[in-house]
Amino acid sequence: MTAISVSTTITTRRSPLVNVRQRSLLVAKWRVLWVLTMFAVIAVCALLRIGYIGVVQPAPHSQSMAEALTPERADIVDRNGVPLARAFNAYSLWYNPDALGSGTPLVAPPERVAAALAEIFPDMDVADMTERLKSGRPGYLRRRILPEDANRIHMLGEPALEFPRETERFYPQGSMAAHVLGFVSADGHGRVGMEEVFDARLTDPASRAKPAVLSIDARVQGALEDELGRGMAESNAKGAAGIVLDVRTGEVMALASLPAFDPNLIDKDSTPNIFNRVTNQVYELGSTFKPLTVAAALDAGTITDIGRRYPSGQPLAIGGFRIRDSHKMGSSLNVAEALIHSSNIVTAQIADELGGQRLKATMSALGMDKRPYIELPARGFPIWRSGEWPRITTMTVSYGHGIAVTPLHLASAYAAMVNGGVWRPATLEKIEPGKVPTGRRVFKASTSARMRQLLRMIVVYGTGRKADAPGFRVGGKTGSAEKPGAGGYRHSSLISTFAAAFPMDNPRYVVVSMLDEPQGTAATSYQRTAAWNAAPVVARVVPRIGPLLGVMPDETRDVDISDLAPLIPGANGGHE
Amino acid sequence: MNLTRDRVRSIGWAFVLTVCAGLLLGLTFRVNAVKSQVRLAERQLVSLRQEKLFLETEFEARSNQQQLKALNDVEFGYQAPRAEQYIEGERQLVALGKPRAPGAPEPIRVAAATEGDEQGAFPTMVSPLTGKAVAAEIPQGGPRKQVDSAHLSQRLARINLGEVATE
Repeated sequence: MTAISVSTTITTRRSPLVNVRQRSLLVAKWRVLWVLTMFAVIAVCALLRIGYIGVVQPAPHSQSMAEALTPERADIVDRNGVPLARAFNAYSLWYNPDALGSGTPLVAPPERVAAALAEIFPDMDVADMTERLKSGRPGYLRRRILPEDANRIHMLGEPALEFPRETERFYPQGSMAAHVLGFVSADGHGRVGMEEVFDARLTDPASRAKPAVLSIDARVQGALEDELGRGMAESNAKGAAGIVLDVRTGEVMALASLPAFDPNLIDKDSTPNIFNRVTNQVYELGSTFKPLTVAAALDAGTITDIGRRYPSGQPLAIGGFRIRDSHKMGSSLNVAEALIHSSNIVTAQIADELGGQRLKATMSALGMDKRPYIELPARGFPIWRSGEWPRITTMTVSYGHGIAVTPLHLASAYAAMVNGGVWRPATLEKIEPGKVPTGRRVFKASTSARMRQLLRMIVVYGTGRKADAPGFRVGGKTGSAEKPGAGGYRHSSLISTFAAAFPMDNPRYVVVSMLDEPQGTAATSYQRTAAWNAAPVVARVVPRIGPLLGVMPDETRDVDISDLAPLIPGANGGHE
Repeated sequence: MNLTRDRVRSIGWAFVLTVCAGLLLGLTFRVNAVKSQVRLAERQLVSLRQEKLFLETEFEARSNQQQLKALNDVEFGYQAPRAEQYIEGERQLVALGKPRAPGAPEPIRVAAATEGDEQGAFPTMVSPLTGKAVAAEIPQGGPRKQVDSAHLSQRLARINLGEVATE
């Protein structure tokens, strides 16, 4: 019974159970299939994504060590490797009002944050800073902050004050050599100086690992700027310019234009000082041209005898114009005396004999009719009379009037006059030994030798006495020219220049110092002429830079001027 | 389970393959670990170099020509040496040691201690208790001569051959 009942139970319930089991199995299988399909789809998607990332998207930015160490803009160094301009990862202080998301940008009240910032940067204006923080505009609060200041800002606990590291151009020497270097503007390109000239080279990935080398010597540049600044302060001058030039290669060892600017901080106040007086401004450089005239006359053979006497007692009348001397120098002067006392009358006569054509040719060969040869972008065009020079122009040019050139023109011309007669273009790039440009011959070697004697005599006996640095055998010429103004020359404003070379027995360097509108002060014995302000600058610069440049002072040596000394009364046939 | 020869061989191969795969995996991990170590070291190098550059630049900025000039003006007042302070060549250097020629100018003399008030190199150490020299208080191997400054220099200057021989 039971068996039957059991069997009946089984038989009766079996078929639906089988059905249920089969159905649930099917469902389970389907579900597994669905899950598998889903996983497969996800896997395929992931693979496709990986493939897409691998093929289409750029690789993540990974830098090699060499890349990371290459600056974004190459350094500029001086001839001895002293860095003058550097790519520098500096912190800057950036205000990001969105750092905290919505709501107030700052945790503390803006007034308190501004006061805390002013504690870190004492020169900060608290009221102005509070305004800027309140305004809620993102922007730089300060550029170039020190790491310790960045740490202190971090301690304030304000997420809105960010200090990103940015590559900036930094000039460790401050305003030194600013006119040579220039600066980098906000667009990342160089301006004014060698930063502009070298711009492509400095930013080119292939060449920026190596620094650009200048011909400047930082120590010489420092000494020149220092002494020019002192000369400018002592004479209360408006500005000053100076240059030290290697006479054998044309390399510029130092180039200074004062007042200078700080390339680290270009603002409204410093912008007028960006103007370069050495290469961009043309001046009538006055009597410093007299040796060039005498050299041209010696070279052309119109002066065969240095002892020949020229009348100098009366002003020279020419075409309604009178050429005068600054003071009475006697009824007649020889060539050496004319240079020593700086006589306009005699120099004009020498130029008259030489003729305008030959004087013009010499001046042209010295590059006085073109912009100065130098890499810098700012180069002034000389005031140069074209065509045939009338007699009066020839005469005035002979003593540096009616022609306006830059101090750099003068330095290059003096280098040619003392180095044996070869003119070479000035350069701010260091010249490797053996790659010195050939240059062009302007004067004969014999003329150059004679001019060395005469220039030395001007310093030993003449107007350049105050430029004499003992042992350095300095030779040179003063020049004090009145500045042209409305309706003629202005008697009260001068350009006083001293163009010198040392050591005169074997010239190595030309030094030109120029002061713009010097005043008579107690320090300059109430005189305004070059002998009292520009010449002492040279006397102080030369002992500082000579030993650095390999010129040792020696009081036992000098250029031999014994054959010319008898021409100077009171020289006792030889100099002291 | 019957292990035929073939089966054992294939199990062996599989085992060898597994071991090789494991080794390969280990090696790969090791290589990657070394690679990341190298990267880390490179990154450290870069950051150290940058720090060096940073410090160098700071040093350059703090010791720039204008700063040095200001420091010299305030603190030292050094000036460029004059011509007579230079010696040109060996000849002038040798001339410095030569005896004075007759009629030559007086040479520059420098300050020096005179022989009369010589106090000796070391002050004598005196015991605060006895008031005697310390060296005299502790006799070492028999009585010793009292040491004072006058004798010290003499003693230091001579070598006692007898003492040397006994040591």
